[in-house]
Amino acid sequence: MTGALRRFAASYARSLVAYGVVALLWVVASWSLPGFGVYPHLRYIVELAAVIGLVGVGQTIAVIGGGIDLAVSAIITVTALVLPMVSFEADVSGLGAIALSLAVACAIGAVNGLGIGYLGLPPLIMTLAMATILQGLLVLIAGGSAISVSNATLDWIGTTHVLTISASILIWLAVAAVCLFWLHGTRSGALIFAIGTNPLASRLSGVPIRRLTLATYVISGLCAGLAGLLLLSMNGQGYVGIGDPYLLSSIAAVVLGGTSILGGGGSYLGTIAGAVLLVSMTALITVINASEGWRSLILGGLILGMLPLSGRDPSR
Amino acid sequence: MSSGARLYGRIQWRRNDGLGGLFVVLALFAFVYVILFPGILGLNAASKFVQGWFPTALVAAAETIVMLTGGIDLSVGAMVSLGSVVAASTMQGPLGLFGGVLATLALGGVVGAAVGAFVAIGRYPAIIVTLAFSFVLRGVALLLMPRPGGFVPASLSDFLAGVYPTTAALLVLLVVLWKLFQATPLGAGLIAVGDNAEGAYRSGVNVAAARLSAYVASGALQACAGLYMAAQTGSGDPLIGEPMTLAAISAAVLGGVGFLGGQGAMRGALAGSLLMSILINVMFFLRLPLVAQYIMQGLIIVVTIALPSVRAAFRRMR
Repeated sequence: MTGALRRFAASYARSLVAYGVVALLWVVASWSLPGFGVYPHLRYIVELAAVIGLVGVGQTIAVIGGGIDLAVSAIITVTALVLPMVSFEADVSGLGAIALSLAVACAIGAVNGLGIGYLGLPPLIMTLAMATILQGLLVLIAGGSAISVSNATLDWIGTTHVLTISASILIWLAVAAVCLFWLHGTRSGALIFAIGTNPLASRLSGVPIRRLTLATYVISGLCAGLAGLLLLSMNGQGYVGIGDPYLLSSIAAVVLGGTSILGGGGSYLGTIAGAVLLVSMTALITVINASEGWRSLILGGLILGMLPLSGRDPSR
Repeated sequence: MSSGARLYGRIQWRRNDGLGGLFVVLALFAFVYVILFPGILGLNAASKFVQGWFPTALVAAAETIVMLTGGIDLSVGAMVSLGSVVAASTMQGPLGLFGGVLATLALGGVVGAAVGAFVAIGRYPAIIVTLAFSFVLRGVALLLMPRPGGFVPASLSDFLAGVYPTTAALLVLLVVLWKLFQATPLGAGLIAVGDNAEGAYRSGVNVAAARLSAYVASGALQACAGLYMAAQTGSGDPLIGEPMTLAAISAAVLGGVGFLGGQGAMRGALAGSLLMSILINVMFFLRLPLVAQYIMQGLIIVVTIALPSVRAAFRRMR
């Protein structure tokens, strides 16, 4: 038993450090700032972290596989705009519109995956170009106005608490559990690590790189779509630019969680802590009433300070 | 012609490989632009056009220098903003016009050196170091100048962005300086390091110094772009550079500069930024919504990059 525990600690040391930092931050902040450590506030922090965490699922898988997804923010915005547009009267529960908008998110991810896996485009270029195209299309279609939406399912996500835990947190936990099981408990999940470590060796060993790459970006699209739903349930309206903050924060959460940006190493376990850490820092800065300039400066400093967790390039 | 010159010529010519498509597209769009707006051939309109293109050309060059070493810079936009803020707040102070210009350039070099130290000496991945720096620089710019303000002397604005073709001369100067830098051991090492760091090291290239110099040069160019934009608008703006990161990477990628380092040439990146600039102008004259340029830009990137691999896939099928 202790052997298994030690092996776990050794493999996920970097991810565990992120949990340590979160715990330290929470303890110090609750002790010195009244109102930070109360349950509703901490729950609010985790609710906000759920959005970053969901985007982080796809981002983590893409980064472990040696890629990156720069289109997530655009996919979030697409979902948050398509859902209000396709909502129709007969669909009282809103499930039809939700399924449709998630399908759009998956389709965008599939186009990314086809370009990267089958045409051999570098992930950075394919997803960057996709983000650029979507940005243009969205402004053309939606313009500058916000579109409101409300349906039974979104209201349920926004208001329900099960044993005082919010529905959005429960959704995040469920997706996180599936993701962790897939990455660490199945054959195809293990192959993602193989591709990220050495794509050439993986291909020569018969790993279906193309299909797995396609799957990676479809999953990333789906998760970004889910994050868009969560945002919509919190805001009640979608607008162009709603997803923009989540591109850099999803990458930051992945890196803060100890997943190597070089691919092949890490775990979603760390990204969870990274997402909570990011939101906690932002909340802390808001509580001490720092300006946007300080917030940006502190976030940047935090990432620089935690660089040793993210892995280093070879010596030359 | 000596054999050395012939060899140099042949190597330089070979670096046009893969850029043919871009040059054809560029010529096509330039032709369309001239047909739509013949006035562009006049000195006045031409210098205005170059002034619109110049900041993008500068950041494209800055991104290219870093990408040639195998790195990437996601802090371009924040650095441009910071450059514009520092330029607009130092020139009215005791430093004066020249002091302000020097201070802005020096700041760009120092920030570049800091990023370079993390990447070249600390060996941390450039993508995450520059991501962190983009937050830090943005924060500093917002703290120095929470909202657009400051002041750039009218004489500088007239000199850089007035009726004279100063900007075109600066562009030529940029190309000449790049050629001269490439002739130094450090400059030649730049591409070598990006192509094969181990091989470059065994051939006596100081890998860390080459990488560091790339980030310093890149930082100074980004600060220049900020200074120039401040001169164009007459004031500083802590968020003016935000779209520049994407524009810089897109221009470099359009120009055939690879993410893995060692592939591509400065001429490609400059051509890429020129194409984007013409595209914006043509769309403006066709009365297309400005956002349509994003769609075009994305499509052009994908098509330009995907074409070789699609062709290769077809060849394999036959």
